Amino acid sequence: MTGNIEGKTIELICVIVNCGHGSKVLKTARHYGVNGGTIFIGRGTVHNRLLEFLSLYDVRKEIVLMAAESSVAESAVETLNEEMHFDRPHHGIAFSMPITRIIGSRCISCESTSVRGENDMYNAIVTIVDKGRAEDVIEAAEKAGSTGGTIINARGAGVHETSKLFSMEIEPEKEIVLILANKESTDRIAESINESLKIDEPGKGIIFIQEVSKTYGLYKPDMN
Amino acid sequence: MCLNVLLDKFKEVLISVLPITVIVLILNFTLVPLGIPTLVRFLAGALLVAVGLTIFLIGVDLGITPVGKLMGTSLAKTNKIWIVVVSGVILGFFISIAEPDLHILAGQVDSVTNGIVSKWMLVAVVSVGIALLLAAGLMRIVMNIPLYKTLTMFYLIIFVLAFFSSPVFLAIAFDASGATTGALTVPFVLALAIGISALKKDSKASEKDSFGLVGIISAGAIMSVLAMSIIKRTDEISGTLDSSQYFTDSVIAPFLNILPDMARDSVIALLPMLVLFIIFQVISFRLNRKHFRAITMGFVYTFIGLTLFLTGVNAGFMDVGTIVGYGIAARGNTLLTVCIGFLLGVVTILAEPAVYVLTHQIEDVTSGYVNRKLVMSALAIGIGTAVAMSMLRIIIPGIKLWHYLLPGYIISIILSFFTPKLFVGIAFDSGGVASGPMTATFILAFAQGVADAIEGADVLADGFGMISMVAMTPLIALQILGLIYKAKSHKGGLTDDGKY
Repeated sequence: MTGNIEGKTIELICVIVNCGHGSKVLKTARHYGVNGGTIFIGRGTVHNRLLEFLSLYDVRKEIVLMAAESSVAESAVETLNEEMHFDRPHHGIAFSMPITRIIGSRCISCESTSVRGENDMYNAIVTIVDKGRAEDVIEAAEKAGSTGGTIINARGAGVHETSKLFSMEIEPEKEIVLILANKESTDRIAESINESLKIDEPGKGIIFIQEVSKTYGLYKPDMN
Repeated sequence: MCLNVLLDKFKEVLISVLPITVIVLILNFTLVPLGIPTLVRFLAGALLVAVGLTIFLIGVDLGITPVGKLMGTSLAKTNKIWIVVVSGVILGFFISIAEPDLHILAGQVDSVTNGIVSKWMLVAVVSVGIALLLAAGLMRIVMNIPLYKTLTMFYLIIFVLAFFSSPVFLAIAFDASGATTGALTVPFVLALAIGISALKKDSKASEKDSFGLVGIISAGAIMSVLAMSIIKRTDEISGTLDSSQYFTDSVIAPFLNILPDMARDSVIALLPMLVLFIIFQVISFRLNRKHFRAITMGFVYTFIGLTLFLTGVNAGFMDVGTIVGYGIAARGNTLLTVCIGFLLGVVTILAEPAVYVLTHQIEDVTSGYVNRKLVMSALAIGIGTAVAMSMLRIIIPGIKLWHYLLPGYIISIILSFFTPKLFVGIAFDSGGVASGPMTATFILAFAQGVADAIEGADVLADGFGMISMVAMTPLIALQILGLIYKAKSHKGGLTDDGKY
């Protein structure tokens, strides 16, 4: 990775849609110049009194990650927004965030220099916790004003966590919680999660926060 | 505002129930007029099936699957082999003994053998087989023994046993294995395997070990019944089965008559899982209230959904199957009968509950790499072929069941050495999955209708063996799909990074 082209920035596009639409997103994006992407399955949350009473608060979602050069990313997300109608409720969300370096993609091979999104209203809060605690994270976040999140099943281990059961090596199951929040409430939400799950203590999980440059389809409380 | 979660599911289910409805409607207006009352009953049945299936699937997602996964995980975490084995035996025994389909089959066997093989004996024998092999299957996952080796070993034992037992028992044994892997057992056992495998560090092993447990327990039922037949030495079945079919003009009465029975069946089938869940909750899970409530609700949905589904199928679909089968076969056109059989096989499997659960699990575990629709299509073609071949068997007396089963299983076992291992598991699981309540009622009724219309065909003897065919063809169909996947998944221009 040597070609350092001044002023060329790379964006990571992240699209969260209902299950079954992931491939369509990827296809559309590729049509508009994005080279490829990765799709995985997650769970979203729902807010509805009746559904909550019926215990139906999980929805399967597909998450698509795609990296592209800024201008390509922008037009791709723009078109995706039009085609998938992210502006309507329950049609999914899309956001992009600046990344500093990409390795392994033949077509985008540059190191980015200036990383400043135009719209830095939002942050992505990523929390990784032991399996089963994701609901608690979302609950804590909602208490602090978040409007929902997406849960992704994962595995992983900290320094003192690998172990062996019978003859299979295991890695503990984890859950990743992805929450988008606007600038003002980010700290409050992170703090609330931290407090209720005691992330500060060793072995309880980690939180990191990433700036997001553009968002589509986010639920805004003031709209309703 | 967002009941669309429910609506989405309902739409999905509707799409899978629609084909069978359309086919029967077309047949009604062309080849086999059903008569208004039966037709109305069928449509009402189809609606009940769609609604029931929707609720059932939501319930499984919410209740059965999480419980299975949690149990699998917590069993593995004990790190004590005796706990895994003992729990496997207990789980397997109680789940199998509570399976309504098994009781129906055992009742039939009881009456045709004039009580030599009594109902409870067969149920007990099958349950013991399931129990032992569930324990063996769990052990296989934790000990990292490859699935195809395990299956080869079990099927070799089956071949040897089959060699010594009578052909009639061969049919009963294979049918019993299809019957035990019903609508509830399959999701639970699948989840159990996924719960253990999800812990594995090697994500490819984790993916492929998530499947295959249903296939292993199916082998258990076959083995135990064959072993029993050798010990008991009963060669002939002579009795007759009093056909409980009644034709009535009433539309609502059959549904109401059957509802309490179906509700009871559903409760009995759910009971062991519920009891085990509560025991585990106290000693090991300790879920928080929200989670506990969700699972309990899941059980309630599963109960409601299963009851509605079974009522719809039994009251609405059963006579239609018989009438269509009789009507088609009475025309004396072999090709037509075989073709219609194929078509009905294809559309019936789409509405089978466990197929739904399996294909969703596959997508979950492989993150969508193995496409649901492809698995569904392969399954549908497999089942279609199974039904078509069974029609041939009924029409042509020379063809015996083992003429199909023996080569079929030999091919499956040989394929399992070459197929990507993920697909071996999926294929052997779907064998058990395909033989659910929908096939067991509608397709079986259809086959009996056909046998009824054909001189020289024995309604009963030809009826047995139907489920075994349905359980066998998916093994081949899905392994072939796996081979196609393997051939196609080499990326152009890049080196194959060894998905398998």
